[in-house]
Amino acid sequence: MSTTVRNRRVKQDGAIRYRDRLTKNDLLEIYRRLWFARVFDETLYDMKKKGRLRRGNVYGSRGQEAIQVGTTYPLRPDDFTSPIHRDMPIFVFRGMTVEQVMCQVWGKANAPTRGKDSWSHMGDMRLGIIHSTSMLGSTIPVACGVLWAQRLDGNRDRVCVAYLGEGATATGPFHEGLNYAAVHKLPLIVVVENNQYAYSTPVELEVPTPTVADRAKGYGIPGYSIDGNDVLEVYDTMCEALEYARAGKGPVLIECKTYRLQGHADHDETRARQYRPVEEIEMWEKRDPIVRYREYLLTTGLFTEAELPEPPADIVEQIQNAVEYAIQSPDPEPHTALEDIYDESAGVSR
Amino acid sequence: MREVTFLEAIRAAIWEEMERDPNVFLIGEDIGKMGGAFGVTTGFQERFGFDRVVDAPISETAIIGVAIGAAAAGKRAIAEMQFIDFISYGFDQVVNVAATYLYRSGGQVSIPIVVRGPSGGYVGGSLYHSQQFEAWFFHVPGLKVVQPAFPDDAYGLMKASIRDNNPVIFLEHKYLYRRIKGTIPNPEADYIVKLGEARIRRPGDTLTVVTYGAMVHFALDAARMLEQEGISMEVIDLRTIKPLDMETIYNSVRKTSKVLVIYEAPRTGGVGAEISARITEECFEWLDAPVMRVAAKDSFVPFAEPLEKFVLPSVDDIVYTARQLAHY
Ligand SMILES: Cc1ncc(C[n+]2csc(CCOP(=O)(O)OP(=O)(O)O)c2C)c(N)n1
Repeated sequence: MSTTVRNRRVKQDGAIRYRDRLTKNDLLEIYRRLWFARVFDETLYDMKKKGRLRRGNVYGSRGQEAIQVGTTYPLRPDDFTSPIHRDMPIFVFRGMTVEQVMCQVWGKANAPTRGKDSWSHMGDMRLGIIHSTSMLGSTIPVACGVLWAQRLDGNRDRVCVAYLGEGATATGPFHEGLNYAAVHKLPLIVVVENNQYAYSTPVELEVPTPTVADRAKGYGIPGYSIDGNDVLEVYDTMCEALEYARAGKGPVLIECKTYRLQGHADHDETRARQYRPVEEIEMWEKRDPIVRYREYLLTTGLFTEAELPEPPADIVEQIQNAVEYAIQSPDPEPHTALEDIYDESAGVSR
Repeated sequence: MREVTFLEAIRAAIWEEMERDPNVFLIGEDIGKMGGAFGVTTGFQERFGFDRVVDAPISETAIIGVAIGAAAAGKRAIAEMQFIDFISYGFDQVVNVAATYLYRSGGQVSIPIVVRGPSGGYVGGSLYHSQQFEAWFFHVPGLKVVQPAFPDDAYGLMKASIRDNNPVIFLEHKYLYRRIKGTIPNPEADYIVKLGEARIRRPGDTLTVVTYGAMVHFALDAARMLEQEGISMEVIDLRTIKPLDMETIYNSVRKTSKVLVIYEAPRTGGVGAEISARITEECFEWLDAPVMRVAAKDSFVPFAEPLEKFVLPSVDDIVYTARQLAHY
């Protein structure tokens, strides 16, 4: 496989358009998922503002929904993912309930981490969701390990999609992990959500190459640099990468270009309008991935305006209900803080 | 004198040292235009330029490594960890590269760097934004470890750390950043707090409390409560964790004969264990009770409030143990 960076936009002619296989139902489901992500984000910002969420930060994903939806939609149920701080909706797309996720946000006893850890630092190996820490980049080597276990078990076509911001590609573990994956041809798909800023630091100060995808050259793997605000472009690219990885050819790096429309987290709203040009924010607001997708759907003639509500009311209700459920859920018992530090059960393979 | 917050004291010290010595420079994540996650370096890049206030990529290994290399070549570098927890990525640079440099260069190359950042819990920061890592570095020869509790000490110790010729780990408790205010001397006073000197923050004679960081404030609160019961606690603020000012501790122990060591990190293998051991070795015949400790439970710092409260030491824990010791 050549290591040139491929830009699907220029290469569209003749390329397989996986999107053409999507049914009307698929297209609608993608639309609904985009809205799920948007409403999830808006609801938590609102909860924070109203003082109903008093602990922890909210890392928004407004504007990055097409990546979350487009990269997960073509996955098999037995594939692995390792989402990061801006990927809360992915936990739901990969099988967690909204209630579970909200309980995690509120640090409740029935959260996946039982209130031990915060926000996106959770997972569920039964759903193939790998747990992360705050340490940016640290999941990449771990993802390699999960895939190594698959190799030992003879499951060579289960893929792992590991998410990362462009800033996190500056860490050592990212490089070591990707190098390992490439040397051993592991089916790892690294999705870099290039939202142009790592906290306040612009991408030029994190990544020296013209695109983040250029980093792939150093590992001799394919790198894509695509429009991350076009959900079908993301979907197509992901399908292509999945075929490649499942065929045992090794890892793929996909850079999805997008923009962080909000602050780094809810506490950063004012500053984020100081360290970034307001015109830049406004320009990206015009490229809203949901608006764009909706416009596209209407041009297909498959949908009427009424079939594409903004947002779908049942999704708003579902998220609201989950929030109330979480708020009413019990806090963890203090003594449970000392549970799960060691596993003292018999040391046999599970 | 100036009235400042704990955070402003640190900021003032760094600013003044950069004005005084053109060899001093800063490197870290988001420290330029934004002024750092907590705003310690707000305005620095405008004043000192891009090369002396470096916005580095998210690469703690490189940040600390660059600081070390520049120091080896004659500069004085201050490396900011956005949260001190992230120093783990730069652990090798601190422990194997910086700490050993003078030794392995036959005394030729000293490494005047300060690796600083917010540490500690009590803010709902969860596992990786709450840790107290002093014990990791306390164990390593060649390093100094500092953790102030008051603005004047933060100011004087930061200046001393920048001027020190050795790698210094400077822990800034984030719980204190804006909560604690005080006065610091004007720049002309050239106020320095020498590394390695503890300070008695409150005299007493029933028992000696040895502590540092946010726990100094907890201990002082406990001391005020216990005073009404006739228990008089002498509170020693170590200020510098390594090297330890054992003389101040021994003198106090010879007076009170009872010692309580308090630290926020997990109990096992903490700094308090070393302090306790030294007291037993040097002051055994002066002791009227075993040296006791209040520390975090041997756990991570969890997210949910009831869990965090359960794990981290509280004023109540201190009062309870101090009483036991007083009545021993
Ligand atoms: C090793 C490490 N260093 C620093 C941080 C602090 N930090 C948290 S998020 C962040 C910015 C991340 O930027 P990026 O990877 O581009 O993702 P984004 O937040 O833009 O989605 C930083 C510096 C961290 N979590 N881990």
